[in-house]
Amino acid sequence: MNTPIIETKGLSRRFGKTDAVNGLSLSVPPGRCYGFFGRNGAGKTTTIKCLLNLLRPTAGTVRVFGLDPRQDEVSVKSRLCYVPDAVAFYPWMTVRDTLNYLASFRPKWNGEVEASLLQRFELDPGKKTADLSKGQKTQLALISAIAPEPELLVLDEPTSGLDPIVRREFIETVIGAYQSGDPEKRTVFVSTHLIAEFEGLIDEFTIIEQGRGVLTMDADAARDRFKRIRARFAQAPPDLNLAGALDLRRKGRELELLCNGGSEELLEILRAARPEDLRCESLSLEEIFVACKALTQAAP
Amino acid sequence: MTVDIFMVFQIDFKSGKPAYLQLVEQVRYAAASGAIKPGEALPSIRPLAEELRLNRNTVAKAYAELESLGVIETVGGKGCFLKDNQSPFTRQVRHKLVIKDIDQAVVTAHQLQVDAATFLALVRERLDLFAERKTHEK
Repeated sequence: MNTPIIETKGLSRRFGKTDAVNGLSLSVPPGRCYGFFGRNGAGKTTTIKCLLNLLRPTAGTVRVFGLDPRQDEVSVKSRLCYVPDAVAFYPWMTVRDTLNYLASFRPKWNGEVEASLLQRFELDPGKKTADLSKGQKTQLALISAIAPEPELLVLDEPTSGLDPIVRREFIETVIGAYQSGDPEKRTVFVSTHLIAEFEGLIDEFTIIEQGRGVLTMDADAARDRFKRIRARFAQAPPDLNLAGALDLRRKGRELELLCNGGSEELLEILRAARPEDLRCESLSLEEIFVACKALTQAAP
Repeated sequence: MTVDIFMVFQIDFKSGKPAYLQLVEQVRYAAASGAIKPGEALPSIRPLAEELRLNRNTVAKAYAELESLGVIETVGGKGCFLKDNQSPFTRQVRHKLVIKDIDQAVVTAHQLQVDAATFLALVRERLDLFAERKTHEK
C-alpha cells in the first residue's frame, strides 16, 4: 500500500491576521510512528484539528487514508482514534458506561484488549469518571483509543502532566497493545514535548515552528547527521577554519560545536590541531529539537 | 576487569548507530561472551520492545537481521532461540563479516589517535579475555 496515511500539502490555517499553520507539507507512510514536535503555539494542535475536520484549512490540502476529512468525515473518523491533551468524559458516567458508550460508535471493538488494559491500569469499571485522577482519565482515553484497533492513532500531548509511572505505561501500551496488529495497519501520529520519552518509538518526525515545517527527517538519519563535537587542547585553541561548524563555542581550552553533516571533515581539521581529547556524538531527537534553529540555518 | 555476563540491552541514541543495529550487536556480543547459550531463548519481540521503549518494528527488524545472519532462529509459536556456533556461512563470507567490524575498529582507533602497535595489543588482550571466559565455562 503506497497511499500515505496522512498527507498535507501547503496546509494553512489563518485566525484573524495570524497564520497558525502556514504552508505545512508532510507525509506519513503506513505503519510508521511519526513525531510532530514544536514549541507551544507553533501550530501542532491546529494541524491536528485540520486532520480531524475540527477545523477547516484556509489553504492547501489535507488527506487522511487518501480521503478528504471534510468530504469523507465518517470514513476517515471510523478508521482512526484520537487522544487529545485535555481528556474529557461525561462526569456522571462510570468507566464501564463510558466504554460501552464509545464502543457503540465503533464497528470493531476488541473486548479482550479492553479487559486486559483495564486490569493492567487497575481501573475500577464502577467508578464515575468525575472521580478519576488525571492519569486514570488518560488511561481510559487510551483504552478507548486502542480497543477499536484503529489504523491510525493520533496523540496530542498524551502524557503531559502525568507521573513517570503512568507515562511509562502509556508508551508501553502503545508499543504493546497497539503495535501488535498488522504493521501496515498500525500508524501513530504523536505530537509531544516529551521527546526524550518517545525517542525509541519515533521513526520519522517533523519540527514545526511558527506554523511552518522547518525540519522533516527519518529519526535514524537525523541522529546520524546531526552531531556534537567536543575538543580539548593543551592550550587555548588556535583560530581554525571550521567551515560548516554550527553554534561554535569556546570555553577556555575547549571547543564545542554542532554540525549538520560533514562531521568527518571537521574532525580531520580538529585532529590536525593535535587536541588532547576529541569526541563526536550524535544528538538525540530532543537535542535536535532544541538546537533546530542552529542546525537548519546553513544548508550544507 | 569485568566482562558483561548479563544479557542486558541498552540503547544509546547518542551513538549515531541505529537502534536496531545496536540490538543486533548486543545479542551477538551476548552470544560471544556466553551470556546467552545456544538453544536458549531470546526475549520475545513485544516484551523487549516494551522494556526498551522501542518501536516494535525496530526490535522486529533486529531479530530479522539476526535471523538472516544465522545467529538466531525462530521456532513457530515458541519464540526465538540462539543457534549454535556452527555458522552456515562459507569461510570467505565469515571473514568478510569480521573485516567489516575490524574496519570500524580501525577507524575508531585512528580517530582516537590509538597507534597500530597499541591497537594490536588491545586486540590480543580482548581475544585472550574471551578465550579465558570460554574455558571457565567448561
